[in-house]
Amino acid sequence: MLSSCRRIYTPPVTVFYINIMKPEFIPKGPAIVIEEDDRRILVVADTHFGAESELKRRGVHIMSNTPERLLRLLECIEVSGADLLLLLGDVKHSVPVTSWQEMKEMPDILTAIRSKIDLKVLPGNHDAGIERFLRDDEILPRNGVMINKTGYMHGHTFPSTDITGGLIIAGHHHPVVNLYDDVGCFMRGAPAFVLAEIDDGSMNMKDCRPGTRVLFVPAFFELAGGMDVCELKKSGLSPLSRCIIEDTADVFLADGTYINTIGGISADKSD
Amino acid sequence: MQGNHTLCIAPTGTGKTESAMLPVFHKLLREKRDGTGSGKGFRALYITPLRSLNRDILSRLEWWCGKLGLTVGVRHGDTKQAERTRQSKNPPDLLITTPETIQALFMGKNLREHLKNVRYVVIDEIHELAGSKRGAQLSVALERIVEQSGEFQRIALSATVGNPDDVARFLCSRRPYHLVNIPAAPRLSIDVKYAGGEFSKQAKFVSKLIDKNESVLVFVNTRTTAEALGQQLYDRGDVEVHHGSLSREVRIEAEEKFKDRRIKALICTSSMELGLDIGHIGHVLQFGSPREVSRLLQRVGRAGHRLDTVSRGTILATGFDDLVESLVIAKKATSNECEDVVMPVNAADVLANQVSAMALEYGEIPQERIAEIVGRSAVFSDYDALLEKVFSQLEYHRLIRRESGTVIRTGRCRKYMYSNLSMIHDEKKVKILDILTRRIVGTLDESFVISWIHTGAVFVTKGQLWQVITVEDGMVKVEPAVRVKGELPSWEGEQIPVPYAVAIESGKIRRKRKLGKYPADRLSEDFISGFLKGMDDSRSPVASDMLMTIEHYDEGVVINLCGGHKANEALGRLVSILLSARFGTTVGVEIGAYRILLRLPREIGAVDVLETLNSIDPEHIQGLLGIALKRTAIFKWKMVQTAKKFGAIDADADYEKFSMHRLIDLFDGTVIQEEAFRELFINYMDVASAGEIVRRIVSGELDMQIAPLSSLGREGLTSSRDMIPPPATDKAVVNAVKRRIEDDNIILFCMNCRKWKSKTVVSRVPDDDIVCPVCGARLIAALKPYEEHMIDTARKKEKGADERAIEVRMLRNANIVLSSGKKAVRAFAARGVGPDTASRIIGTFKDGDEFYLEILKAERNYIRTHRFWN
Repeated sequence: MLSSCRRIYTPPVTVFYINIMKPEFIPKGPAIVIEEDDRRILVVADTHFGAESELKRRGVHIMSNTPERLLRLLECIEVSGADLLLLLGDVKHSVPVTSWQEMKEMPDILTAIRSKIDLKVLPGNHDAGIERFLRDDEILPRNGVMINKTGYMHGHTFPSTDITGGLIIAGHHHPVVNLYDDVGCFMRGAPAFVLAEIDDGSMNMKDCRPGTRVLFVPAFFELAGGMDVCELKKSGLSPLSRCIIEDTADVFLADGTYINTIGGISADKSD
Repeated sequence: MQGNHTLCIAPTGTGKTESAMLPVFHKLLREKRDGTGSGKGFRALYITPLRSLNRDILSRLEWWCGKLGLTVGVRHGDTKQAERTRQSKNPPDLLITTPETIQALFMGKNLREHLKNVRYVVIDEIHELAGSKRGAQLSVALERIVEQSGEFQRIALSATVGNPDDVARFLCSRRPYHLVNIPAAPRLSIDVKYAGGEFSKQAKFVSKLIDKNESVLVFVNTRTTAEALGQQLYDRGDVEVHHGSLSREVRIEAEEKFKDRRIKALICTSSMELGLDIGHIGHVLQFGSPREVSRLLQRVGRAGHRLDTVSRGTILATGFDDLVESLVIAKKATSNECEDVVMPVNAADVLANQVSAMALEYGEIPQERIAEIVGRSAVFSDYDALLEKVFSQLEYHRLIRRESGTVIRTGRCRKYMYSNLSMIHDEKKVKILDILTRRIVGTLDESFVISWIHTGAVFVTKGQLWQVITVEDGMVKVEPAVRVKGELPSWEGEQIPVPYAVAIESGKIRRKRKLGKYPADRLSEDFISGFLKGMDDSRSPVASDMLMTIEHYDEGVVINLCGGHKANEALGRLVSILLSARFGTTVGVEIGAYRILLRLPREIGAVDVLETLNSIDPEHIQGLLGIALKRTAIFKWKMVQTAKKFGAIDADADYEKFSMHRLIDLFDGTVIQEEAFRELFINYMDVASAGEIVRRIVSGELDMQIAPLSSLGREGLTSSRDMIPPPATDKAVVNAVKRRIEDDNIILFCMNCRKWKSKTVVSRVPDDDIVCPVCGARLIAALKPYEEHMIDTARKKEKGADERAIEVRMLRNANIVLSSGKKAVRAFAARGVGPDTASRIIGTFKDGDEFYLEILKAERNYIRTHRFWN
């Protein structure tokens, strides 16, 4: 009988990639580190610093949770060993007017970050007025930027043509996953990463290059209401989310555990 | 008469109001004559729990006051502004009001002045208030009036209760009191009937009873039953329905019709329990078990309505449990064994509310003075630490400030008090919008929305399934859903629980099967013995006060346990918590007075439940429940309610863009959380009785048996549902991955004949022998769909070096399948698992969940190194 542990030399077969981009998941964020061309970039989306003042306006009276959130961010920077922090937008919360809480807190938050790491921001829809807190070289264009071979953007707008055709990493959507077992829902609102192919035909964009894929990063803000990954496409939240191909869109937990495709999760729920 | 503080306990309709008020009137007149009663202000307060009762009392007392030359007014939520202004300028001698409006009186400058002359306070239907937070709030309010007016005479009227002295102490605290107790029992005649299990037969019985009597009040337990019964009897033309969901006009019209004898019967819910005067009631019919002795006394007490007459009532039982329970309650009622009223002691949210109220009333008030006022009431004891926690929580939410021991009101304080006069939680209703038809299909309670509704959730309303698309603009937007896996949440609301003592005695009847002491007629007796004989014939053990049975059914297990709702709630949740922790799955739980239904995954059976029950240490019940309740819907719901009373969340807060689940975590370890637990453990669960049950299991007094599903276990459950999610999600994640892999597509290809190829899913691959149907060889490669092209390569006659390599890989794959069978197929179905990884995973010799954890690890590694780039 043949034994399964018999050693046969096998040369590597799939050598499609020349340059390996290695993502690393940081579960306590959630955050992700992208290593490319010997550069380590820590990617964090949707921190929503200053959201408590809006909560207060809506009738929930809690103290600012900024100290906890900032500490968590600094810990992520520490464990990541990254040399650049890329904030994928919605760094602050209040629009259109920058709140008193933000005026008070933002400078200290940014100083604390800068003391540890270089910082760049892709402004999101909540970032109106953030320029006053940032240096010019820290602000990147809203519709995205290419760093090495990967595109980055907040995700509320159409991407710039330059970053289409490859992988785009985006925030804005706050994806979460709800998982069910035989009896009921056992995991509710767990932050999730979604890696999806984009159907460029339905993108409604002139020069969208084929082969675009998008990685949606979950929100760092712990009180964020989430968007169920199964509803992501239907929600019409952004040009990108509208055009994802659900059957092949992979869903990962914050620690990188691969759960299933969106199509698979939706089918699971209704069979 | 002598000016003593008095609690008068008497059945309704014995002229309680007049007997309490005539001496008060007498003294008010004398004081007026003597001139001691001069000066502006309310001289007497008459407090009732309901506005409708206020109106009723007003019409009765106006007559007396008119004759005696005293002024009387009513003030509550419905009072018009003009009337309010008049009262503030010319306060009436007697003010009829509600506990909530008393709170408002402290807030106006003039009104507060008028409180300075209060000499008498009468509280009507005090049993309705004493057991609730409304009562606790009122108790503090009385002490706050004392601060303004000095001591006054306290008089209260109550229906029969089990613990009159406790209620008297609630009224007077440490002051001496006088008790007048007129028992209801000698004036009662109650019989219990059974008319079959079908609703139509029951309705026919009701109809006949209406024919036989001059006027009948029909009490039902739920609004749905009221509506259904009304529908059945509608054609008679002399029956009306009366319940809380109907508009005030409709209700008043029904009351008037009954009073004027234009209709013979009124179908009502607890809305008619209190002493509203609706004229003569000949007979009371209780449809279904009244659940509590006090409720039965109160309801039947409405019949007769004169001192010398006997109140006649009938309970129409609707099923086996219902009948046995009705007999127990009827017997207890005629021997006057009424339940106790349980006062909420040290309710932190009441304290928060009253601290804020006092800060507002005085502007600045020393902490010691607050402590002193609160301490005089009966509902707080040993509260120093609690008060300090409440102070600092209120400071945190900026309702008060503190400076060197003085509490100072803030700007938010007044706004808070205006929306929190009441300790009753008013539920916001959230509309449900069907986005396909753009129509509102119904409403949900806010609490249900907070605890259950999230995007993607599925729920039932109006008999249809809906899936939540989003919650926005204050609406739940939904679309019709197809059948969905798992248990569906449905909110049953708060209902009348069956007490432990009643459930235990019902269990005793099941065991002894003797009905001598009980008011059972022939038909009922036959039905009970017939039902129990049916159990015997099918060799099903009958759960009783000394036996618990655990029965299998297709979705899980039914525990037949005569513990009453609250003890079963505690025990049911406890068992599900332990099971979910041990097996790492969600456990669904539904509670009734006589059974606990657990929805379980297939691998958990009655034996596991029995083992779990045996493993419980009665000392740890409360602690365990505390930990596990935090993840349940009911706890989150209670947290939001409590946080609102602390001013942490505004009454009209809008938090749809935020995660309520995580917001609640911010209150971990605060006094708000403590209060939510305290209330759950007292009002929703009977931890003490659950402990008693567990102790009886340990001592062997309560036996446990596993049995097949019996007709007893099959009887419907009608109570709350919740789900207990597992504490750690590892196992659950594994389950999700397991399911994904079982559903994965896989291609089987024979590496021997290289002809046979089969596209299938992993779950359909045979467990043992994977054989080629063409050549009979066992050398089968398991390929992922995107590896299909490799088959063409393998079939080629001439191969290049790269193609050779692919063939070798496939052979290794097939070898692994040959030696490890389906396990190998599962490994190959995972993302990025090739022969190297597969043999490593299999080489760990792990089985079950650990095998899948290895697969997960491999996938994570693959994702880290290969996945994103192409």
